[in-house]
Amino acid sequence: MSSTAPVLVSIRDLVKRFGPTTAVDGVSLDVAQGEFLTFLGSSGSGKTTTLFIVAGFEDPTGGDVLIDGRSVLSVAPNKRNIGMVFQRYTLFPHLSVFDNVAFPLAVRRRPRHEIEQAVKETLALVRLEEFAARKPGQLSGGQQQRVALARALVYKPRILLMDEPLAALDKKLREEIQIEIRRIHRELGVTILYVTHDQEEALRLSDRIAVFSHGRVVQVGSGADLYERPADAFVAGFIGNSNFLPARVRGVDAERTAVELPNGAVVAGRTDSALASGGEASLMIRPEKLFLVNGRDAPDANYDCRVDVTLRDSTYLGDSLQREVVTPWGQCLMVRQTGDAEALSHAGTGAALTLCWHSGDARVFRKTAGSSAPRS
Amino acid sequence: MLLSLNRMGPGRYALYSIGVLVALFLLFPILFIALLSFGSSQWLQFPPPGWTLKWYRDFFDDPRWIAAILTSLKVGLCVMALSIALGLPAAFALVRGSFPGRVALRAFFTSPMIVPIVILAIALYAVFLRLGLNGTFIGFVAAHLILALPFSIICIVNALEGFDEAIEKAAIVCGASKLEAICRITLPSIRLGIFAGALFSFLISWDEVVLGIFMASPSLQTLPVKMWTTLRQDLSPVIAAASTLLIVVTMAVMALAAFIRRRSEP
Amino acid sequence: MRSTLRRGRAWPLRGFGPALPALVFLFVFMVAPLAVLFLRSVTEPTLGLGNYAELLGDATYGRVLFNTFTVATVVTVVTLALGYPVAWLLVILPSRVARWLFAIILLSMWTNLLARTYGWMVLLQRTGVINRTLMDLGLISEPLPLVNNLAGVTIGMTYIMLPFIILPLHATLSAIDPAIMQAASIAGARPRQIFFRVLLPLSLPGIGAGCLMVFVMALGYYVTPALLGGASTTMLAELIAQQVQSLLNWGLGSAAAFILLTVTLILYAIYVRAIGLGRPQ
Repeated sequence: MSSTAPVLVSIRDLVKRFGPTTAVDGVSLDVAQGEFLTFLGSSGSGKTTTLFIVAGFEDPTGGDVLIDGRSVLSVAPNKRNIGMVFQRYTLFPHLSVFDNVAFPLAVRRRPRHEIEQAVKETLALVRLEEFAARKPGQLSGGQQQRVALARALVYKPRILLMDEPLAALDKKLREEIQIEIRRIHRELGVTILYVTHDQEEALRLSDRIAVFSHGRVVQVGSGADLYERPADAFVAGFIGNSNFLPARVRGVDAERTAVELPNGAVVAGRTDSALASGGEASLMIRPEKLFLVNGRDAPDANYDCRVDVTLRDSTYLGDSLQREVVTPWGQCLMVRQTGDAEALSHAGTGAALTLCWHSGDARVFRKTAGSSAPRS
Repeated sequence: MLLSLNRMGPGRYALYSIGVLVALFLLFPILFIALLSFGSSQWLQFPPPGWTLKWYRDFFDDPRWIAAILTSLKVGLCVMALSIALGLPAAFALVRGSFPGRVALRAFFTSPMIVPIVILAIALYAVFLRLGLNGTFIGFVAAHLILALPFSIICIVNALEGFDEAIEKAAIVCGASKLEAICRITLPSIRLGIFAGALFSFLISWDEVVLGIFMASPSLQTLPVKMWTTLRQDLSPVIAAASTLLIVVTMAVMALAAFIRRRSEP
Repeated sequence: MRSTLRRGRAWPLRGFGPALPALVFLFVFMVAPLAVLFLRSVTEPTLGLGNYAELLGDATYGRVLFNTFTVATVVTVVTLALGYPVAWLLVILPSRVARWLFAIILLSMWTNLLARTYGWMVLLQRTGVINRTLMDLGLISEPLPLVNNLAGVTIGMTYIMLPFIILPLHATLSAIDPAIMQAASIAGARPRQIFFRVLLPLSLPGIGAGCLMVFVMALGYYVTPALLGGASTTMLAELIAQQVQSLLNWGLGSAAAFILLTVTLILYAIYVRAIGLGRPQ
């Protein structure tokens, strides 16, 4: 995202309560023109409710939504000139593909030749020209969602909302359409707000990602920001795989925080938040940033942190080798080795090895009720 | 939109008013009869000049009304039992069978719902006159059973289609005979469908008028037939009392059905 | 039956046996009597189609057919106009309120037919509550003739048929995904446009099913027209009963019955086809 692009959508202190439950709890976000922003979170995190408030299907309990600097809360959905693709297939089952895509222009009473021209162009954009005469029931799920995308784009809205549009599709199809969506975003320059619970999808598509949890935005940033510099253990656990080691804070300096692991080993990691010395913390490190060496071998000087471990299991995954190791305090950690994995490929279960990493790759978070690496 | 009330705009007030009007329209005659049955006016004045239980006394003091109730009850219970006895195996055949013409057979079993009852009534009347079944208990039961059968078959078929046959097979693998598996596993699982079928069958018989009018003899009348013949003479308030009693029975059956449904789906 | 089951595997009629009792019963007590009735319609008093010709040619009987189809049409249109909004409300009302509305509909549907018709007879009579109220309000000076004519029949039948159109309409409307309405709205459609371009077309199968059901039932209805109608407003079902019961004119009565049955079956075939094709996907 270029920082010079003007803000198009501005979400200010948005709150939405349903009876006693708070679905959205003070969300503020600015979306730049032409940006692809993804709301990432598990179900019930408030991301879809936020999107539906932007669309106008829900009224917020508090806060405001501005488009081009003007509040749209009092504007009906059909007057907001926003495009939207839904999670479920929402094509009009009684209309042909052509008439489905023509619908937004027909209700705007555009002249016939203009409608035909625009529908043809948009169907070409989603590569479905030859299906124009079919009924939605005769299309596959992937095709239906591409028609829905065409219907949302045909009237050239400046903002496109997408609510988990690929959730019902299988993996291969999903990846295909993700590529299409990226291409269309590039070609049209439309501003996209995209909701998903799939972190891989979020990373693949977005300029920026807003991570939702319990109705709040925990962190906003590019995929690299979130992966490399997660704000807390939740984001770290949500984006990518991670190992969390229990630790006690020993000393803090500008660059690094030194922590003591349960076996007494003192290692270090980077941190953004101020941590009190002696407090409980957790040390996060990605599986691909961990290295295993034979206990006797001299470790690389770069790897300034080390723990002795026992090999429990190795799984060959083609492009990498995944190893499970057990720490002296009985915790199981994931290690992913690529390329130079050859050296230890013969190591059998039970082998005594040394786990090492660079302190710059580890992060120290305040202790949370965190778990080990969640599955993606 | 349009499918969510609070976002529909002013149009929803039009909907509300039609809804309220229709609800009142549907409730009005029922409440009206119930009130009238306690009114003291022989000529059905409304609002009544005073309140009385006279019409209920008249109703219960008249042995012909009591006989009609008993006949209706007996016929209804017989129809209910026979409707399940014939409908249960028929439903098994429709769901489990693999013979050609299964779809046609299902359509045939539901056809009594389509044939206008008056046609069925005169057709049966003609045949029963010859067979001497007119005005007999058996005649009533057979006639009502024709109308009840589709309901019990549909209810049981629906239940049976929702029951996974693999569970019955599992019971057989466990060592049960086919019959044991059906009696101990399948029937208890579809009991709600059977129950609904029985309830419908009873209500169909209990409320049936047209077949009854043709079938009845002066000595054997169901409750609706007795009401019909009385109505043909005058609008006596005793009918209001009888109608109110019928409404109470209907509400009791509905409440029972709702209660059982609620208990069965936790 | 036992032997049927045992050799079932090889037999083409596998599993057919249990249906036999019900099948035999319906053949003896429904199919056979109807067949006999049909025979009588073409043999009494003489062999041939004379009864059918008389029914379709005579002005008196033409009047009956006209009455029947008029009442059925009016009742269908009125129930649709009243039933559609109610079915719609049942879908969108909060479930607590909708449950009460449902209960009212079911109560009226399951209340004894004669009890309901009796209620309307009392309400609609010359000295009934409706006429009395209208006169007290000064809206009319003479009691309106509301009973023993087609007006009474139409009111009574509308009352009885309403649930039969509300229930199929409700089934259709509640099967429509609300997200489709949202999609139409965000695509720029105003509420009016959503209704006419999306909701109404999507509810057509339910409208068709409900209307056909009401129309078919109304054509063959006996009790309500007999009690709320008058001598000059005889409908088909009454004609059939009269011919057979009072005039002992079995030939003509049976022929009228078969005209009614044929129309009913044709409409039912349309109904089945419409439902089959109307279902999306």
